[in-house]
Amino acid sequence: MPEKFDVIVVGAGVAGLAAAYKLAKEGLSVIVIERGDYPGAKNVMGGVLYRAMMEEIIPEFWKEAPLQRPVVEQRFWLMDEESVVTTGYKGQQWAREPYNCFTVFRGQFDQWFARKCTEAGAVIINETVVESCIVENERVVGVRTNRPDGDLYANVVVLADGVNSLLSKQLGFHDEWKPQQVALAVMEELKLPSEVIEERFNLEPGMGATIEIFGSGTLGLVGTAFIYTNKEHISIGVGALLSQIRQMKVRPYDLLENLKNHPMVRPLIRQGEPVEYYAHLIPEGGYNAIPRLVGNGVVVVGDAAQLVNGIHREGSNLAMTSGRLAAEAIIRAHRMGEFNERSLSHYEEQLRNSFVIEDLKKYKNTSHLFEVNPQYFNKYIPATNMALHEMLTVDGVSKKDKQKLILQRLLNGSSLYSLGKDLYQAWRAVK
Amino acid sequence: MENKLDKRMKYVKTEVNIDDKLYLNRWKPDHQSHLEIIDPAVCAEKCEGKDCTVFCPARVYEWRDGRIAVGYEGCLECGACRIGCPHGNIRWRYPRGGYGVQFRLA
Amino acid sequence: MVHILVCVKQVPDTTEVRIDPATNTLDRSSAPAIINPYDSHAVEEAVRIKEQFGGKVTVISMGPPNAAEVIKRCITMGADEGYLLSDRMFAGSDTLATSYILAKGIEIISRREPIDLILCGKQAIDGDTAQVGPGIARRLGLPQLTYVNKVAEVEPDKGEIKVHRKLDDAYEVVIAKLPCLITVEKEINELRYASLPDMIRAARYQPGVLGAADLEADAAMMGLKGSPTSVTRIFAPTQRGQGEVLKGDVSQVVSQLIDKLSTKISQNN
Repeated sequence: MPEKFDVIVVGAGVAGLAAAYKLAKEGLSVIVIERGDYPGAKNVMGGVLYRAMMEEIIPEFWKEAPLQRPVVEQRFWLMDEESVVTTGYKGQQWAREPYNCFTVFRGQFDQWFARKCTEAGAVIINETVVESCIVENERVVGVRTNRPDGDLYANVVVLADGVNSLLSKQLGFHDEWKPQQVALAVMEELKLPSEVIEERFNLEPGMGATIEIFGSGTLGLVGTAFIYTNKEHISIGVGALLSQIRQMKVRPYDLLENLKNHPMVRPLIRQGEPVEYYAHLIPEGGYNAIPRLVGNGVVVVGDAAQLVNGIHREGSNLAMTSGRLAAEAIIRAHRMGEFNERSLSHYEEQLRNSFVIEDLKKYKNTSHLFEVNPQYFNKYIPATNMALHEMLTVDGVSKKDKQKLILQRLLNGSSLYSLGKDLYQAWRAVK
Repeated sequence: MENKLDKRMKYVKTEVNIDDKLYLNRWKPDHQSHLEIIDPAVCAEKCEGKDCTVFCPARVYEWRDGRIAVGYEGCLECGACRIGCPHGNIRWRYPRGGYGVQFRLA
Repeated sequence: MVHILVCVKQVPDTTEVRIDPATNTLDRSSAPAIINPYDSHAVEEAVRIKEQFGGKVTVISMGPPNAAEVIKRCITMGADEGYLLSDRMFAGSDTLATSYILAKGIEIISRREPIDLILCGKQAIDGDTAQVGPGIARRLGLPQLTYVNKVAEVEPDKGEIKVHRKLDDAYEVVIAKLPCLITVEKEINELRYASLPDMIRAARYQPGVLGAADLEADAAMMGLKGSPTSVTRIFAPTQRGQGEVLKGDVSQVVSQLIDKLSTKISQNN
């Protein structure tokens, strides 16, 4: 007779581990099933780890977890072919404990997080793929893995199986994602001495910076490029909607190569030796793509539930919060001794009351707006560069004439009305 | 299969050798493929763009001798091909547990 | 019922060790730790014998505390129990000292449960010496069968084992008295894909740890003190020159070869 656990968690990313940690701490028997050689072996994050949400799971984790650098500066670039308009924020508050967010290597952080789960009493199994949920009488009662004698039973299964979300698709919780609901991102780690990184990014020793690049980094496709500083590596990557990459017939690694050789980027990464290359999908469907989250004996968390805020490039914080809320709902259901959809729907209620769904709701039309109106990326970003170039190039033309010229080139045949409409819509979408 | 962005991709100096990139990673290749073309005739007869040969970030798919060759050993397991195949013609699974790419950093 | 003991080693995955082109040294930092591949085949063979006759498979490993991971790996493969020989005093041991420490550990274990058969991988992929297995056999006074690529018969009742030893162009069939020590080639078996219950058992398993004091061992025989081997230099071998292919029919090729060889000889004289 196969062993029965209180909870099976599928996937040892931050969502699954957050759930497992909370459940194990509460004394429930938990098993986490991970398909990589170790937690993190299949996980890719072109992003940062936010402190506040992680502390709701493990207080003061930053004192012992393997982190790369606390981020003290976030830069935003509107990049054209030969120029860039920059903005951003750098704050000394972020350089002090307890910090705001960190760059991390998921290959290291997730292993640490998994160890914490083991210490709390969870069992972690690596190198094992969950192929399907076992469904009996319209309720999920366990999982079937690819291993011999590979069935396992539990009161609740937490699906934290990542962006591809094959298991909840099998359950009919959502259809296959559409190419416009996911971004395809490629990334590289470049090795550089830490002093070189600190000098190039104007950082105190140990501190970090991030750059989000809009416009030419994706050649105007809807997406972003990014540069993050780690201790002795720079992460550089670029991602765009799969639908657009496909339509434009562009090779993702060519996009990355173009970015690395862009004159605004090249000096930052010069002599960085590539040590690892990644590709990963990012959920971009937003609020409208969130699948069914709860069923009898099953909940869906993290990327598998499309919980990514594409506008703010937040994902891991939504993932771990969803994992935590799922755990709380399961603990509650455990006390009630009832694991049906009704009792587990407490998870969805709590998620809807949290920043996770609130934020996604706020931007629910934004990705779509940018997708159907590519001018935001391929027209207005070059125009902003052009405007600043004109205003800041001193060549004897009067400022008044320059303004006229800028407006003329900005409109470029279209009406002032359509420009106004675009700006109004963009404002509406993010307000 | 013209790359519509070629002209704007002015900083790509030479063709990117994807094998050099894939060589950086740690691999535990299985002897059986986790990727499968469901109906090769669809690729040959219905698919004009052969988009997978372009957008796959590991260049797993190549059009050779009238069929799609699948180099699953170098797959980065992103899932783009499954979602991006215009004909839904790729059966995509995860590699068996313990096989495939194993990222160290990221 | 048989009690089989397997010696395993944690090694860096040498397929992942990169050579620093500037210094010509091995960069081991990026290489993950794995079970020595030959040893995993030894474990597989031990488990197969156990499955045939019943009994028990015990593994031991000498190494730092994190080498417990390779013992857990053996548990996933069906081993029943594992001991980690771990002590600061063991650090820096060469093959002579390592075989001493492992032999001491085996003595302790066999005092509790007599051992019928000891299996080792033929060599470790990080050092490639193939000395530790034979060293253990010599210290324990057991027959040793090296480079075994097939266990043909095990007869616990008669106390005999028949194996095939791999030679350059043939194999040798040898019968030995049990207990004995066998070192195995990779082709001896195909590794199994571990079952889920074994994976779960391994995840929960904590191997017993034996230190120098537990082994009742002589401190002078362990660690750097007990290791006469010294590494004076590590270097990459120089590239051998290109070979030359002689063409033509047999008599032409032979006469060309004789010409070339005689020129060589006269040059060297």
